[in-house]
Amino acid sequence: MTALLKIENLELRVPGRDPLLRGISFEVQKGEAVALVGESGSGKSLTTRAALGLYPDTAELRGAVRIGGIDTVSADKAQLRTIRRVQASMIFQDPRSGINPVRKIGDFLTETLVRWRGYSPADAAQLALTQLEQVGLPRAESLLGQYPHQLSGGMLQRVMIAGALLDEPEIMLCDEPTTALDVTTQASIIELLRVQQQARGMGMLFITHDLSLAASLCDRVIVLRQGQIVETGRTQEVFQNPREQYTRELLAATPKLEVSLQASPLENASQAASVSESVVKPDTESPAVRAVEISKQYEVRGRDDVHALANVSFSLKRGGSLGIVGESGSGKSTFARILVGLEQPTSGDLYIDGILRPKRSLRASERREFAAHTQMVFQDPYLSLDPRIPVGKAVADVVKLHRQVSNAEALAAATELFDRVGITAQQLAAKPRALSGGQRQRVALAKALAAQPTMLVLDEATSALDVSVQARVLELVEEIRDEFKLTIVFVSHDLAVVSRICDETLVMQNGQVVEHGETKQILGNPRAPYTRKLIDSRPVPLWAAAS
Amino acid sequence: MTDTQPATTRALSQPVRFKRRNRFFSRVGSAAIVFITLVVLTVIFAPVVAPYNPDHADLMNVLAGPSPAHWLGTDSLGRDLLSRILYGGRTALVGPLLVVVISTTIGLILGLIAAWRGGWIDALLSRIFDFLFAFPALLLAILAIALFGKGLTGPVIAMTIAYIPFIARLARGLVVSEMSRPYVQAYSVLGFRSTWIAVRRVLPNIFPVVGAQATLYFGYVLADLASLSFIGLGVQAPQADWGGMINESRGSLQSGDFLPTLAPALVVILVVVAINIIGEELSERIGGDFS
Amino acid sequence: MADTATRVVQLRKQPGGRGSRRGLQALQFVIKRLFSLLATLFVASLFVFFSRFLVPGDPARFLLRGRSPSPESIAAVTAEYGLDLPPWQQYLNWISGAVQGDFGKSLQYSQGVSEVLLARLPVTLELVAMAGLFTIILGVGAGAIASLKRGRFTDRAILMAATAFGATPAFVLAIILIAIFAVSLGWFPSFGSGEPGIDRLVHLVLPALSLGLALVALVARVTRSSMNEQMKREHVEVAVSRGLTTRTVVWRHVFRNALSPILLVTGVLIAGLIVTSSIVEQAFGLAGIGSLLVQSVERLDFGIVQAIVLLVVAAFVTVNTIVDLVQPLLDPRIAAGSETR
Repeated sequence: MTALLKIENLELRVPGRDPLLRGISFEVQKGEAVALVGESGSGKSLTTRAALGLYPDTAELRGAVRIGGIDTVSADKAQLRTIRRVQASMIFQDPRSGINPVRKIGDFLTETLVRWRGYSPADAAQLALTQLEQVGLPRAESLLGQYPHQLSGGMLQRVMIAGALLDEPEIMLCDEPTTALDVTTQASIIELLRVQQQARGMGMLFITHDLSLAASLCDRVIVLRQGQIVETGRTQEVFQNPREQYTRELLAATPKLEVSLQASPLENASQAASVSESVVKPDTESPAVRAVEISKQYEVRGRDDVHALANVSFSLKRGGSLGIVGESGSGKSTFARILVGLEQPTSGDLYIDGILRPKRSLRASERREFAAHTQMVFQDPYLSLDPRIPVGKAVADVVKLHRQVSNAEALAAATELFDRVGITAQQLAAKPRALSGGQRQRVALAKALAAQPTMLVLDEATSALDVSVQARVLELVEEIRDEFKLTIVFVSHDLAVVSRICDETLVMQNGQVVEHGETKQILGNPRAPYTRKLIDSRPVPLWAAAS
Repeated sequence: MTDTQPATTRALSQPVRFKRRNRFFSRVGSAAIVFITLVVLTVIFAPVVAPYNPDHADLMNVLAGPSPAHWLGTDSLGRDLLSRILYGGRTALVGPLLVVVISTTIGLILGLIAAWRGGWIDALLSRIFDFLFAFPALLLAILAIALFGKGLTGPVIAMTIAYIPFIARLARGLVVSEMSRPYVQAYSVLGFRSTWIAVRRVLPNIFPVVGAQATLYFGYVLADLASLSFIGLGVQAPQADWGGMINESRGSLQSGDFLPTLAPALVVILVVVAINIIGEELSERIGGDFS
Repeated sequence: MADTATRVVQLRKQPGGRGSRRGLQALQFVIKRLFSLLATLFVASLFVFFSRFLVPGDPARFLLRGRSPSPESIAAVTAEYGLDLPPWQQYLNWISGAVQGDFGKSLQYSQGVSEVLLARLPVTLELVAMAGLFTIILGVGAGAIASLKRGRFTDRAILMAATAFGATPAFVLAIILIAIFAVSLGWFPSFGSGEPGIDRLVHLVLPALSLGLALVALVARVTRSSMNEQMKREHVEVAVSRGLTTRTVVWRHVFRNALSPILLVTGVLIAGLIVTSSIVEQAFGLAGIGSLLVQSVERLDFGIVQAIVLLVVAAFVTVNTIVDLVQPLLDPRIAAGSETR
């Protein structure tokens, strides 16, 4: 059987650097879904784009990429156009950047139909509507006249898929199409892709960094690392019997729902007899966090008020670790910011270490005082460090602010903290741009710890990191928590990450608390339907679903 | 361990781009810097460097071509062109320098305050700037001359005021986007004082971009002020000034003596080109320091 | 499973999708802009009128500078300009006249200010129109070509030319053009505005070039960088990946998206032409508004200066307002309420 796509020994170089792709060889058959899995720098995007002949301008190529009887490495413009029109279509990661923002949706969908297929605008619009229905957007006449910014991310991605399907490709290329979406939306998009792929008998090449996602959709998986294929095989095989060390590491690092947890040392000491009771039992000493009917509204000119939080109430004891889980719009980030004082609640009372937080903007003296109670590690490692300041100085500045010490002592304290988080002394003088994402988050941790807080809030602190880096940073957080006896609040969209280090979980939706309790209990036996839905939306391997 | 990939694969993180850091300025940029330095030095030390008194009229030697005695020749009154150009540089360069330095300083401060404080201060300042934007700098300069008489003082003050809103708006926009970045929020959570964060941490981060833009404005102001002298409203003859010299020597064009007009014209062009090149290279080098 | 998909989709409705509501927002936007325009003009007129009070001394003497301040002329001027009235009333008289097109009497001409202005307006308008057209066509064209041939010789050559011309002040260009094309080659006249018609156009070629060439450079730059910026965007890659021809991609996705910043910069520059024309008109001896302004400053005729400054400001602000109003048409995200200035 001739393969739809056959890549033979593809090598891609850009002048002045090491090869970006080396010795890439694989096939995609008709009706087959193949996953390309790897971390950043693995070359998965480049490889997929090779199928369409989308190479970087200065690329030097060797090998062959055969699709539809044409080799994209050596093809001319007209041949490439044919491949792009007839053989393969691609859907991209971020539909907001991928669809022209100044043109209407209808324009996007009908563009290829009108321009080279020769349909009349009316016929093309009709075809578009039919296609939109197939992707889950029925009766979408008004949609055609709207602009991309008026639609949600999930809807836009469906539009992009519709656009790709309209060309009736033989092979569908997907570049992390669900990475920017909520987990529930992701589940429905994946389902849509699976249905369409099977109905049309298309081949599919699916890029992802998430091995479990690959397992839920694809028959075969190819693991890439730094431009080379590390391992390939049937997904179940690779999952259950990985041959290569790197694959094993990747599998180990991929967050899974951990229903059985190690209790933190603090908990062990005080909860000897209450293993089955909910951790939310009131304590004798003041809790780290006590939230009473916290609500937050924003006024937006010309629109209704936005209700970010509504009556959030819970308490968290000292030394506990709480995971706050929710999708976009759940209010979890707003609450995290309120915890550290970046924002104030509109109504309700928030007690941190027994102290009531004011509901107006904080004064400088208050901020400094509260800094010793709550600190935050932010999501984006590239924007959460001052680009101009060497990292050693940044941490030393915090030490100097909170303790009356000399410059030398501050630097010494900073060095010690760095050592604790795994940054070498040589890197003290480095600016953030010289460090990797994982290293920057470690620096951010050190900075937060320099204020000697009792509670650390991590707002999606590992979401922007590669899987393997994420695992290491999470390990570090656990160590730090145990050593410094911190209370941890970990905000994340990812239940698995939260289940890894948090004893308690709080589930939020639309600004409200949906469920709160011990993580094991919530994961094993969720009470709220929304929680159940969140858990069910997690990708399930094909072989597990079949059983 | 560093990320070195060209294409971004995560939704949020920016790729690390290695900029060629062996040379800060390109060859052309370095040449521009050398040229400007030369010009500035010779102009400052004009009394020492210039071979003649710029007002000394040698009527025996009118419209002479280049010679060992007069490297660039003489104008229609027999005055040495080179000396006039050197002395003329003083008025030509000081004006724009004052305008740019003062308007940038004030603009930075106002923009920072508007963005940092927000609220009614921001609204008020924005209204004021909107109003000032309605007056092109050159027009305000002409109005100043109409009110206070010819010369450069009025125009310099008027143009300073006219350029403040441009810098302020730029600074304000930059500060607003910096404030949304987590590192500024981190400073706040860590307990640093608000003013300290604004002045010691945010301001230095926006300064390079503002500075690069200000360098470009230097060229515009130089051109505008020279234009005023050209039409006789700025520096008054017989004082040497590049714009004024071009005007004075217009008549000689008819007789085919181009040098008295073209020499100062070329100097103006070269100086502005050099400044623009420096300004643009600064802008390029500075962009995206988060990478 | 399709049901779930549809249900999920319906849960996430976006606000502002109703057509009538968007229409209302659009109308509000236009009205706000127009109101802003009028407010600015009003405050500008106040400033222009009262600026003469900034000068120390007697306003009557100020108006009579350079002319004999005999008691009779002072009395005449005071009566003529109503200088004994309270300032706000003087302003009201002036502005009510101005709105009707009457700017009062001139000190140097026997006619009223308005007549003098009207007589000289056509030359300026033609000059600015020629320069503007030239700027847009050549500037956008050169910038687009430079962007399409990015990194190659054409691009570098255009960039170098843009740098050189962009750094040349209009008056310097004027002199150089006169030196080459008027004096040496004799192709074009170097002075005067000529008779209306073809003769006028010939007389305006060099002035329009002087005005326009410097701007062409700036417009070419911003076109080039704006298009380069768009080329890097993902929607362009998506369009290419769908098999559209390069021409379609460039026209519909690169250029179309680059228009907004191009328009913004070009609009401001063209508006600024009005002011720079005074320099060029003076250089070429054209009988336009700009040279009138310069002459009036020379002759200390503040009445005319006042009127011209107000007119120029009005034109400047109007052009900018038009640009602001067109922006949302080019980029619907701006219309959605996020004010990007």
